[in-house]
Amino acid sequence: MPIDLKAVTRKPPETVRFYVKRFDPETGRVWWQVYEVKTYRGMTILDALLKIKSEIDHSLSFRYSCRMGVCGSCGVVVNGEPRLACQTQVAEKATVSKPEIRVEPLYNFIVLRDLITDFTEFFEKHRRIKPYIIRRDLGEREKPTLEYSQSPEELSQYYEYSLCIMCGLCDASCPVYASDKLFLGPQALAQAYRFIADTRDEMWALRLEELDKEGSTYKCHFAASCSYVCPKVVDPAAAIQRLRSILFKYKLRLYRKKVSNVVPPMEVKAKPTPLPPEATVIENVSLEKLEEEKPLIPIDKLIE
Amino acid sequence: MTIKSRFKVLDNRLGVKASFLPIGVTIAGNPERLAFILHRITGIILVGFIAAHIISTNTLAREGWEAWIEEVRNLEGLNPISLLFIIAMGALSFHSINGIRLIMVEFLSLWIGRPEKPKPPYDPPSLKSFQRKAIYATFILALIAWVAIIYVMLIW
Repeated sequence: MPIDLKAVTRKPPETVRFYVKRFDPETGRVWWQVYEVKTYRGMTILDALLKIKSEIDHSLSFRYSCRMGVCGSCGVVVNGEPRLACQTQVAEKATVSKPEIRVEPLYNFIVLRDLITDFTEFFEKHRRIKPYIIRRDLGEREKPTLEYSQSPEELSQYYEYSLCIMCGLCDASCPVYASDKLFLGPQALAQAYRFIADTRDEMWALRLEELDKEGSTYKCHFAASCSYVCPKVVDPAAAIQRLRSILFKYKLRLYRKKVSNVVPPMEVKAKPTPLPPEATVIENVSLEKLEEEKPLIPIDKLIE
Repeated sequence: MTIKSRFKVLDNRLGVKASFLPIGVTIAGNPERLAFILHRITGIILVGFIAAHIISTNTLAREGWEAWIEEVRNLEGLNPISLLFIIAMGALSFHSINGIRLIMVEFLSLWIGRPEKPKPPYDPPSLKSFQRKAIYATFILALIAWVAIIYVMLIW
């Protein structure tokens, strides 16, 4: 999602009203609870939730870990948009005329308590597309002695899709995932494309057979909401369209994939770099001995 | 006793309403979602239109020429039947033009840009490529086609 720089750098309203959608698993009660939080410049939604938890209500539950948009744990719906709580500024969502923010658990997931959602189905679907490199040479795969060759151009074909942090925001915004339980979802399909596009992988046919089934790839209708909400610019919508194009060619038996070979490591293959012509070797001086000897002036004094 | 039987869980799945409402995104940043919603709605209208179209066009076979001329006369001027026909034509113009865009994007994976390393301001390649322009072109062309159909039906 493109960042609105003007909005994120301005000062938020002094006090912001937070409407948090809560769920009690023991009674099954769902309600909106209101908290008034004093803000400061640079405050994120996660900071506000932590402030509520430490100062106002200790029973509020939410999931977080890194606080810097790397782990993908703190996905919540802020004012109707799936966002990472740690990457969303309060100033971006609350204005002076309307100092209110609604925080809900992620859509299309099962809620366990308050803002905590169950990712079991999400990971099951991710597992179904076999998210790992599969090679025919099993021995080399399990105990590698050599390396798989891959050019920077080949890497750039899938690098963008390998940045996924599995936060689930794409699945929360997908209108097809909302109504179809069998649909794999943008995250799993983008990862399927990531491994099919990887030249080191050899089992693309196995994955394509799985993706050719009813309810897998063909259910996507390019609403592109997944790409719009993705905090890591993974662009799942484009990945799914490429995947479908590959499937189309595969069904016509026109799809050919380049698979990389096993090569020795670069350092073994490369010749040692020769010394420049102006370099002269001083006689009777061994570099190895020099390294072992203690320096005349101790390093501590040199720093002083 | 398992956790699921001891504690209740809440299914937060949005269901079919996500296909008709822009929940989870803002339309200004995601016109593809608007196109998706309109494609669904116009598709449903067209299903109804095709059924009505088949029934009305076989009037000639069922009841003869005079009934057929009576049937066609319904489309003259502004009346409930011609109003429904105008709505169906609007749906048809959008659905057909957007369909061409979807064939290019979904089957041939054209107009969605090339994979690239993320860099500021972090716009996904597919949302800044030619298909975004194609969406705006779809809206404009569909509107022009609809206005032209209405002009031919009511004024010309």
